[in-house]
Amino acid sequence: MQEIVYPGDLIADTQIRAPNVYVENGKSYSMVLGFKDSSGSGIIPFEGGWVPKIEETVIGIISSERNNVYEVDLGSHHRALIIGGKYERFSFQIGDVVEATVKDIEDGRTIILSYPNALKEGTVISIKPSKIPRLIGKNNTMINQISQGTSSKISVGMNGMVWIRDGNVALATAAILRVEEEAHVPGLTGRIKEMVEKR
Amino acid sequence: MGAINMVKTAYIKQLMSTNIREDGRGFNDSREIKITTGILQNAEGSAQVDIGSTRVLAGVKLDIGEPMDDTPNEGTLAMSADLLPLASADFEMGPPSPEAIELARVVDRGIRAGKCVNMESLFIEEGKAWNVFVDIYVLNYDGNLFDASEIAAMSALLNTKVPEYADGKELRDKRIKALKIDNVVTSVTVAKVADKILLDPNGDEEEAADARLTIATDGKFIRAMQKGLGGSFTQKEILDAADAALNRHNKLKQVIEKTR
Amino acid sequence: MASKANKPELIVNGRRLDGRDFNQLRPIKIEANVLKNATGSAYLEWGNNKVLAAVYGPVEAQPKHMADPSKAIIKCRYSMAPFSSLSEHNRSGPNRRATEISKVTKEVFEKVLMLNEFPGSQINIFIEILQSDGGTRAAGITAASVALASSGLHMKDLVYAVSVGKIGEHLVLDLDMIEDNYSDSDMPMAISPRNGEILLLQMDGEYTKEELEGAFKMAAEAGKEIGAVQRNALKRVYENVVSKYNGE
Repeated sequence: MQEIVYPGDLIADTQIRAPNVYVENGKSYSMVLGFKDSSGSGIIPFEGGWVPKIEETVIGIISSERNNVYEVDLGSHHRALIIGGKYERFSFQIGDVVEATVKDIEDGRTIILSYPNALKEGTVISIKPSKIPRLIGKNNTMINQISQGTSSKISVGMNGMVWIRDGNVALATAAILRVEEEAHVPGLTGRIKEMVEKR
Repeated sequence: MGAINMVKTAYIKQLMSTNIREDGRGFNDSREIKITTGILQNAEGSAQVDIGSTRVLAGVKLDIGEPMDDTPNEGTLAMSADLLPLASADFEMGPPSPEAIELARVVDRGIRAGKCVNMESLFIEEGKAWNVFVDIYVLNYDGNLFDASEIAAMSALLNTKVPEYADGKELRDKRIKALKIDNVVTSVTVAKVADKILLDPNGDEEEAADARLTIATDGKFIRAMQKGLGGSFTQKEILDAADAALNRHNKLKQVIEKTR
Repeated sequence: MASKANKPELIVNGRRLDGRDFNQLRPIKIEANVLKNATGSAYLEWGNNKVLAAVYGPVEAQPKHMADPSKAIIKCRYSMAPFSSLSEHNRSGPNRRATEISKVTKEVFEKVLMLNEFPGSQINIFIEILQSDGGTRAAGITAASVALASSGLHMKDLVYAVSVGKIGEHLVLDLDMIEDNYSDSDMPMAISPRNGEILLLQMDGEYTKEELEGAFKMAAEAGKEIGAVQRNALKRVYENVVSKYNGE
């Protein structure tokens, strides 16, 4: 295991620009709890909220509608909107689960979504967004393994919401929550494999 | 949390036809219960109870006070509950909510009606008696606060030591005898979701529930009941829940007494 | 509170009542990530103090008119449990003292957290004193700092807090309850260890300017020890998980 970096730790005596590093009086410090990125000079955080990026996939729930503009609850402090137009009309209901793509981010907290697609039935769980990459795994290995082992359909949003339907949903949920809990523990793929294939 | 609850509620209701719950439990299965007592030293008694990821801490303080006018030879018992904002994103700062007050009062009724605390033993001398304060602190919420709080309060009372009394004052650092407990009350809570009855509802299930029922018992008698939320129960459902409460009592009592 | 008339001798043969040196901290233990629902959390024992701290957020600012379009706002609640003190039962809910401590604690973290990253949002910091034995505000801030780090929120430093008091002519570190009740002066501080800047400062009693300097020095020394405990707590969260599976 690499050495842990704490908030306020000196990263460089000079001014560097790197992820999760801030500069004060010409020196660079970590702004998170994490570890050094071996391929760069930034810090990879252990935990962290979701910072939206254009073109990434999110999952949310329709929470209100007015004049063909739908507000989507992404489980974060952001305000996310699906804006219908003259030629693009949607017919979502409040409470519908939607998968969509981040099209634009305004003033740091308003997100414009595009290509919304309703995910029917099933359930949604929310995990820490920082654990989503681990849940997906390299080339989707982790998520495919859970999906196949439980015969469930699973859709993953980068904002931390995960939609699950069919098959053994309880087992799929338990496996996903275990990935969240043990994201940093070596050998996770093996343990999850054992968990979902045992039944 | 908001909108995600709508989706979970719809899913939990849909699941009711399959006889399997969100977390894989059967309808009559409880989550694992863990009790830790004596974790606080300034309190005269304490207990922490985990039911799944619900966590409740109960602390007991004893002060010298006056007996009530109508029971001049007895001490007093007061129960209160706090749904701490650190326990859930849905709990708010501010004065006690109706939910917190209901929780404290239901736990209080079970323990009082069950005559669990020997009130005469709290009498000190003419005009002086111990006032017992039980405070229930909800630290993490995932459903079924009623059973967790009942167990925590009961366990904390069983863990309580009475300070020595001398020359009109209490000696807090000399705790000489255990608080006299005559009876042990436990409770069982069920939730009604889409006409099915679920024992020990978790947070999502409580959110989806139409009605909730808590039955406190000492194994022989039912000592307190409380129906909550907007829905209703049939008489048979209530009698079945009473059976469940009576049947589970001995096992719960053993767990409580083992950890005192 | 306590009457000075029956003041006990707080220093006997050059040592404090609990046997500590003047510049010695009480034992401190911290465990991070103890509450499931919170974004970040920590449990701390500092002498006989027992403290739970939790962080939620960023969430949407409530009520909406309180939202700041340029940065996140912080809400902080410091509260003492009704069963927290060895003396009588306390009413639950914030009193004037708790309200003031909540305010100055919030102001500590306003400087430390990078609030401009989350405009219009709110970050909640909750500190519950489950058991008190003097110095609870310092204990609360030290715990909250670990809770914040474990939440992943961006922050400039791992802040700690400690108090330096005065008994007779002596500067003494980290007053416990008895010392706090009978001492001549007390000065709680919260400090950014990276640059030594002071984020919380309260004081009552009597200090000369020289004593003030001495107190700062004492607090800085203590910070090394407190910081190590904070870091170890955070480190263990990840190492614990590792060892859990190495054994199987």
